[in-house]
Amino acid sequence: MARGAENRQGSRGASRGLSWRQYKAILRKDIVMELRTKEMVTSMGIYALLTMVVYQVALSQAGTAFDPRQIAAGLLWLAFIFTSMLGLNRSLVHEKDQGCLEALLLSPVDRPVIFFAKATGNLIFLGIVEILTVPVFSFLFLQQGSYEGQWWMIPVVLTAGSMGIAGVGTLLATMSVNTKGKDFVLAVLMVPLMYPLLLAAVSATTVAVLGGADAGSQFWQAMALIGVYDAIMLVACFGLYEFVIGA
Amino acid sequence: MRQLKIAVVMLLIGGLLTTAAFFLAFYTAEVQRFGTVTLSEEIDSAYPLVGVSNEGLQYERPWFSQKIFYFHVPVAEASFLVLILSAFFGVRFLTTRRKEYDTKSRIAMETALTFVALTMITGVLWTKASWGVWWDWEPRLTTYFIMMLLMVAYFVLRNSIEDEERRAVYAAAFAVIAAIDAPISFFITRLIPSQHPVVFKSGFATSNLLPFILAQVGMLMIGYAIYVMRMSEERMRERLEVAKEALED
Amino acid sequence: MGDNHTDSAVEVRDLTRVFGVRKALDKISFDLPSGAFLSIFGPNGAGKTTLVNVLTTLTAPSSGTATVCGLDVVEGAVELRSRIGLISHNPLLYPDLSAVENLEFFADMYGIEEAEQRVRELLCAVELDHRRLDLVRTFSRGMLQRLSIARALLHKPDVLFLDEPYSGLDPHAMDIFDSLISQIREDHTFVMISHDLAKGLELCSHALILAKGRVVLSETRSEIDDAEFAARYRSIVGIGVA
Repeated sequence: MARGAENRQGSRGASRGLSWRQYKAILRKDIVMELRTKEMVTSMGIYALLTMVVYQVALSQAGTAFDPRQIAAGLLWLAFIFTSMLGLNRSLVHEKDQGCLEALLLSPVDRPVIFFAKATGNLIFLGIVEILTVPVFSFLFLQQGSYEGQWWMIPVVLTAGSMGIAGVGTLLATMSVNTKGKDFVLAVLMVPLMYPLLLAAVSATTVAVLGGADAGSQFWQAMALIGVYDAIMLVACFGLYEFVIGA
Repeated sequence: MRQLKIAVVMLLIGGLLTTAAFFLAFYTAEVQRFGTVTLSEEIDSAYPLVGVSNEGLQYERPWFSQKIFYFHVPVAEASFLVLILSAFFGVRFLTTRRKEYDTKSRIAMETALTFVALTMITGVLWTKASWGVWWDWEPRLTTYFIMMLLMVAYFVLRNSIEDEERRAVYAAAFAVIAAIDAPISFFITRLIPSQHPVVFKSGFATSNLLPFILAQVGMLMIGYAIYVMRMSEERMRERLEVAKEALED
Repeated sequence: MGDNHTDSAVEVRDLTRVFGVRKALDKISFDLPSGAFLSIFGPNGAGKTTLVNVLTTLTAPSSGTATVCGLDVVEGAVELRSRIGLISHNPLLYPDLSAVENLEFFADMYGIEEAEQRVRELLCAVELDHRRLDLVRTFSRGMLQRLSIARALLHKPDVLFLDEPYSGLDPHAMDIFDSLISQIREDHTFVMISHDLAKGLELCSHALILAKGRVVLSETRSEIDDAEFAARYRSIVGIGVA
């Protein structure tokens, strides 16, 4: 019994430090596992490349007069949203596989810590895929014409957009991993929820690619909308995660 | 049982009100006009001749398709309110874990889906009449299209989960997040610049306001009635389940 | 059952768990003294897993109370988690991490001081020190089960829950498992779910049979007549299946 009392005091005193340690542990574990299997990044990367091939087919009859820069942003985000779903599913299947999620829930961890750790991991993997995809995409499709946008806008909008995808996606993947037909359910839940974010992200990215007279104001307007979406949706996902992961 | 009676009465009143609103909309409401139409010869028209040019006679062009407004907007607003109701029951479920709230949330979502489908149909009709195309990615239509997808997703989610309680929790969480997402998408579609104009002009003549309010109240009553009737059906089914279970013991 | 009320490890009072019309647990009450070994038997769907989920804080009760180590399973949930451990038929280990990485990960989750030393100690105790750097993916079922014991003991829990720990083990692995359990038998309270009547009775000091969410039999080991118990168990399971 004496040992119990000791434990109790310890856990109370170091609770914030413990949460941080748990956050790092989950994140590190996900990264180590990914480095070892390279499952997520390879499958997402190859999938992204395949979409590029499909885009080539889609644009093959458009003729030389058509400037792909007009729709470049849309094509990019299309690739990101679909590849991200692939990765999100994988990241929670790991937890589910051997009942590890149960062991995780049995440990004295605050549920939001799991949410933030998982979402951070997904954000990192999505970021890697984006960093690989954007240069390849520009190399393949954007060589004609000069670049008129401001390049720094691209990482800004990618970061903000990916945060929304990773946050909402982590909540939805936690649900879809427990359903029949995981991938399909995730897509059905994710695409309509992501619609406003995608719309704003494509608008901001288009400005970043094409530039223009009032590029600055248009970009920041879209960024503000992305910010509002991210803030509201992340708070909602954070609040709902505890219920969802415990069910 | 009493609630069911009230629901039937509400359904009747709601039906009467919306019908009345239709009549008013066509017979007493002022017909809005947009632009003029040029004809080669003079016709007998209730619409004033506004000018004569060398191409012909210019008449004001009545905006008949605008009449759908009295049906379309109330349905759309009712659908949104019922979606919020569903999310509200979802929250109640998550905090109490009582199955009845799950049922309420699901039935509300069903009702909302019915209304969104009606909104979509009337919206498409309007688009065809006004712009000559069946579909246009106009902000309002787009928003309701997304809302419809969210509601379909809700039922897809429900159908893909075996465990009753897990299904209820996930469905409640998704209802909440869908109800948060819908208004965001409503605003973002409007705020992101696109080529299309705002569709309905604001500003009412009194003769237009009356049928609109009647239709709105009527539609909400019908929505309530549908909800209550479906609920009582579900309660009956649950009672049957209890009876079955008792027989087994 | 339970003549020693002053030091009970588990106390359950009118514990009920309902969803809609389905009652997974229906007014369950029992006590378990500290240091006891409780075996819970019952047909599928009797509520065994739900009961353990409630006691391990994974599921909240609908009504009634349950305390483990003097902590309420709802209010004291976070604290309670660091005082209980679970060994399941599922290994609950990450296949793509090595044995050491797995244990160190859970050591972080429990906030264990001097984790490295503790992990070393446990790996030696379950005789897996020679495979410490190998991926768990390559382990046999028996080795997984041993490593999962080490995982459950990391934070020195007071109460250990065993959820069908024998399923999938070959006889040799079962023997090793038994000897490991007997080594730690003295310092812990055990709650075990089992389908295997012989195994369950061999180890237990208290036994409980659940059917349809209710306690139908609750006895201490000394009160149990094996043959009679087995007959009753069979008749109950028979009803449960029909």
